[in-house]
Order: sequence, then structure tokens, then C-alpha cells
Amino acid sequence: MKRSMLLIGLTLLGLAQAQKTVSLVHSGAITGPTSDVGGPYAAAIEDYCKYANEQKLIPGYTLNCIVRDDQYQNPNAQRILEEALDRAKPAVYLGYATGAMLALKSLIQEVKLPAIPASAHIGLIDPPDNTYIFLPTSSYSEQVVALLEHIAREKKGAKVALVVHPSAFGRAPVEDARKAAAQLGLSIVDVQENGGSLDNTALLRNLEQKGAEYIVHQNVAGPVANILKDAKRLGLDKKIKQLGAIYTGGNDLIRLAGDAAEGYLWASSYYTLEEDTPGMRLHRELAAKNNRGTLGQSHNYTAGLLAAAIAVEAMKRAAQRFGRIDNVTFYDALVGMNGPNAFNPGFVVKTANSPEIDFTKSEQTGGEGLRVLEVKGGKFVPITQPFTSALFRKVHYGK
Amino acid sequence: MRNPWAQTGNYRTSYEQDTTIFATYREIVSVGVLLVALVLLPQFLERSQVLTLNFILIYAIAVLGLNITTGYAGLISVGQAAFMGVGAYTVALAAPYLPFYLTIPLGAAVAAVFGAIVGIPSLRVKHLYLALATLAFQEIFVWSVGRMPALAQGASIPVEMRNFLGYEIGFRNHNHFWYYVILFTLVLMVIAWRNLLRGKYGRALVAVRDNDRAADAMGMDPGRTKLMAFALGALYAGVAGGLLAYFQRSVVIEEFTLAKSVGFLAMAIVGGLGTVVGSLLGPAFIEYLRLLMERFSEWIKGNQVIQQVIPPGVDVASALLPLSFGLVIVLFLMFEPRGLYNWWRLVRSYFRTWPFKY
Repeated sequence: MKRSMLLIGLTLLGLAQAQKTVSLVHSGAITGPTSDVGGPYAAAIEDYCKYANEQKLIPGYTLNCIVRDDQYQNPNAQRILEEALDRAKPAVYLGYATGAMLALKSLIQEVKLPAIPASAHIGLIDPPDNTYIFLPTSSYSEQVVALLEHIAREKKGAKVALVVHPSAFGRAPVEDARKAAAQLGLSIVDVQENGGSLDNTALLRNLEQKGAEYIVHQNVAGPVANILKDAKRLGLDKKIKQLGAIYTGGNDLIRLAGDAAEGYLWASSYYTLEEDTPGMRLHRELAAKNNRGTLGQSHNYTAGLLAAAIAVEAMKRAAQRFGRIDNVTFYDALVGMNGPNAFNPGFVVKTANSPEIDFTKSEQTGGEGLRVLEVKGGKFVPITQPFTSALFRKVHYGK
Repeated sequence: MRNPWAQTGNYRTSYEQDTTIFATYREIVSVGVLLVALVLLPQFLERSQVLTLNFILIYAIAVLGLNITTGYAGLISVGQAAFMGVGAYTVALAAPYLPFYLTIPLGAAVAAVFGAIVGIPSLRVKHLYLALATLAFQEIFVWSVGRMPALAQGASIPVEMRNFLGYEIGFRNHNHFWYYVILFTLVLMVIAWRNLLRGKYGRALVAVRDNDRAADAMGMDPGRTKLMAFALGALYAGVAGGLLAYFQRSVVIEEFTLAKSVGFLAMAIVGGLGTVVGSLLGPAFIEYLRLLMERFSEWIKGNQVIQQVIPPGVDVASALLPLSFGLVIVLFLMFEPRGLYNWWRLVRSYFRTWPFKY
């Protein structure tokens, strides 16, 4: 009898240990504004979590993914996060919207919860309350500055217009862009805000009148596609060259703009769907397995996979190194992801000087490499080798 | 002999009786019980549940203001969120220098001034034309904030309050602390709202709404009354905005957009235009509907049988959220235009005439 009780006890103990759960929480715009980005992003996180559990990427732990739709509304994002903190005690928060993330900075700082947002707003990793926020790839500001550098190499003294989303997300790079343009000898002839006009004739004619030779977009793919189509309709597609930051391009833009996207330049850290890397092979596999259709064709799906992969990798390292996974050990594992311990999942490019993903307490941008890609024959094709912006840190931090 | 506990058999035979807020002791007791319940409620809830309550109460204050402007004065306004924003940004700018019990009234006052200014078109235009004027202000507000570096161009401005009279406020008690502040403020605003409508200004609002020419003939000034309606409505919104700024620890422009203004109108309609109870029921209904649909969406996502029926790649669960919001508005407009308040009125009528059926 005693032996039986002991056996039962050991079995229960074993089951308890085998059933340890670690949680991550994501809230994003699955519906509502910017859901063209948020939809594939959330789908990718869900798919990667299933993959992680199936492959037992975190030995001894079951990953509980809390994926919620906040409809791009800050109160919803706040409530979802606080619910998770009360009930699931997540190790990490995969945030989404710029406005919500900016509003939640102080809460994240107070509860010491690591956050890996989809938003790449530079303000998220600028003081104050920035200790626990980590951007998977370069910031919007750095991307725009990199595009300006590319323009300056192509044509000295060019006239450039900025067209940005009418939000903190869109406006973030404007100040840095102005400073960079001054350094590069470019002229910023206008800054326009566009959240999705269906007819951009007035916008384009205005920019034409001001002599704009380039348009740099900081937006999502939908508005940019409309502008490209209108530029083609007006015959301005040969006269004004258009470029954009991460959320403007990818297969979403090609699908929406069609042949009007030809010649569009895109600053991106992500590999394209056609490239053969471990990460992109996994992307194609998971998208097909989960019937993601057009969602799985998007680079935003890649972005979601990357965020989830970083989170899972940090959890795994926390378990190995500290024997438990919580927000404290997750943070320590994440900031230890550098040097020979950098993370190379195969989703984003790496430069000659830096690995794919690396974080420290002071360096809170994971993937620093960027490429410029151009639409040729209906596909984005890299036209530069991976690089980092030479000017961004100077214009933003003054050093 | 008047029955002090029930209205059955009591006739209102004086002006004071006709305008009294509490006609019987039972009404006083019922309100007292409600307040006690509201005070004790957070002790039984999680932080995130208190968070939802806080949003409901803040929105209730904003909708109270909308019920002055739209419900009682009959002036359509789709700029309530902008007035909230004026209050919130005023608080954000003043918070480093003044305590919250001064910044919030300051924000309310500034919002009231903006409300009076925005109300000027009401002197000449009515109905949908006036709605367009308030819509214009809503868009001008968002546009302006987006271009003002002093307001971070719509990005986050932190609003922190770490302690109050030595009481430390942090994550663990932040929601609860602000619940009581917001509840106290809401009670004050309801008392003010209710008493406003008992006085001559409140009656002037109703008269101007019903027939401004007749009101003018009777000696009321329709223009000044309308401006007052806008100012008071904006004042309430300013209070709500100030509370929201502190509660969310920051001010971002996304909280004060046209979609929010439309949401407040929806809350007012669902709750019942021109009523205190509706101002409380509307926000509660909308917010808990959102929560309910979110839970329902999660259930659908997790149900394998349903997932097998839905075509691959179609996210039915997530689409339910926006669908339900629009559907509820339409259903209320079709079948219960007087809102949830009418259901409350029916329930209350039963007890008012008790023990008789009518």
C-alpha cells in the first residue's frame, strides 16, 4: 500500500513537472484599423506557438499563447495586458500599436515585463520607461534615414517629400528625416499625412508642383498602394520615385497595387518569401500547414514569426540557465542574447558586423541589418547588400 | 397623510414635491444601497475587472455631458471625444505643476470654453448641419494635436501620480485608487446634472430643444441656452478626459478620435438619450458587449467542430467583434429607440405602483 501511494505520488509529481506552463500575451489589431498588418502578425504568433509546442522547443514547458484582438484601441490593449498579468502572469508581452505601446510604457516599466512590440517607434526604446522594451528590428526612423541615404547616393541634392500615416506611428521618423536630409544635402519639400485616401490626385499634383523627385512613405501598404495607382494613372510614376519603410511594402503592396508597384523601393530587414533560409522555409511551411492563404504571403507574417521566435528562444534559454521562466529570467535571457550567444533564426538579414538578432541592456534593437529592395517583375528583389544606417545615430542621439 | 415609503396614493400637490429628486424614503434607500454596492464592488474584483469598470465610469461622465448637449438641448454633437481630449491635454500639461484635484477642474474649464466656442454655429444652424460643425471641430482638433510639438504630435505624454497624501499608488492599487476617485467624481457630476435639470436653466434646455421660437417668445434666450448646453457638455467631457489621462498614465491622440465620438453617441443612444440611468447603462452595455464578444470569439477559435466548418483562412471569430457593435446599434434604433432606460423605467414603474398593477 505504501509502495502504491509512493508510486502515485511520484506519478503526480512527474505529471506536475511535465505540465509546467509558460505564457506570452499578444494583443493587436486583428480587426479594425491597420488590421492588414495586425491580421497576419497575430496569425503568425498563433502558428509559431503551435509549432513550438509540437516541436517541444521549450523542454518541460507548454507554451500558452494569449492572442487577443484589441481593434487598435488603447483601452482594449491595456485591459488585455492587465487581464493577462492578473491571470496568466506572462513572461513577455508581444505588443502591437504605437499608441498603445507608448501609453503602456510606464506600466511595463513598473511591472518589469519584457515587451517585444510590432511597433518600431523609436520612442519606445528612448528614455524614460524604456528598460524592458525591445524592438525586433530597426526602428521606423532608422529605416527612413536609410532610405534617404540611398536617395542621396542615387542623386545629390534631390527633392524629397514625406508621406506619413496620421498618427504617432507615421510621424515618428519625420524629425529625424529632416535632420538627416540636411546632413545629406537633400531637400524635404513637403510632409503630408495620408491615412487612406481613395483619390490622391490633389496630393500628387501638389508634390509635383513642389518639384518632389522622391516620395518616402511611412505608412501601411493600403494607402501606399492607392498612391502608387494614382501616380500611374496621372503619369507621375516615371517622374516621382517612391520608397517606403517596413510596413509599406512586401507582398501586400504588390497584391494591392498590381503593376503600379513596379519600381517601388522598400527598406526591410526581412528576407523575402522566395529566399531560402531556415526562417523562411519555416514561414512557408507554417503558412501552408495552417491554411493562411494571403495572410501567409505577407511579410507581416514573417514579422510575427520573428517576434514569437525571439520570445520562445528567450524562454528556452531562461529555463536552461535559471531553471524557471518568468519575466525576470526572461529579461536576463533576452539581454544575454548577444555575441556568440546571438540568435539566428533566419528571418532577417545580418550584416558583416552584426549577427541576426542580438540584444543587450543598452542595445534594444534586435536585428540591425537593412536592405533596399525594388519591385521588379512583380516581386521585391534586393538591390543592396545588408547594411546599417550610417547617419541615424548621429541625427537621433547626436553621437 | 403621505406615504413616506411608497408613492402609491401620493399626489404631487406642490412645486417642491414636483421637482424633488427623492419622493420617498425607499428611493433614498435604494440609491444608498447602490452606492454602498459600488463602493464595495472592487473588493471582489480583479484589477483588470476594475479597469473595465473605470473605463465605464469615465465614459459615463462623458455621456452625461453628451446628454446635456444632445439629449436635453437636442443639439447633435459628434465632437465629444475632442472635448475630452482638450481636458486630457490640459491635464497633461498642468500635471507637473498642480495636484490632480486642481488639474482636472482646470481641464474641465478649458474644455467648457472650447465647447462654448464650438457651439457658436448652433446659433444659426440646426440638426445635421450642426453635427457637421461639431464634426469639423473633431477633425480640426485631431489635426492640430498632430502638428503641435508641445503635445508630442499626438504621441504619448506621460501623466504620472505616484502618491496621494502619502498613499503610494502603483500597479497593484492603481486601478482601485482611481476607481474611487472616478466614482466620487461621477457621483458629484450626477448630482450636478440632476440639479441642473431642476432649475430654470435645465427647463430652458428642454424648451429650446422642443421649440426654440416658442422658448424665445416666452422670454428665454435660445442662443445663450445653446451655448450653455455646449459648454456644460464639454465641461463634463473635460472632466472625463482629465480622469482618463491620470487613469491611463498618459495621453495619446488615439483616445480622442472621431470613432470615439461616434462611440459615445452610440452609448447615449443605447442607454437612452436624456437620462441619467441611460448614461450609466449605455457605456456598461457597450463595454460588456465587447468583452462578451471577445470571449465568444475565443470560444469559437477554440472549438474544433466549428473550425472545421469554417472555410480555411476565414477568421469568423475576429469578425464578430465589429459586427456585433454595429448590429446592436441598428437593433436598438429599430426596436428600442428609447434605449435601455426604458427597460429600467418599466421595472421601476412596477415598484412605484406596488402593490397595485397600475
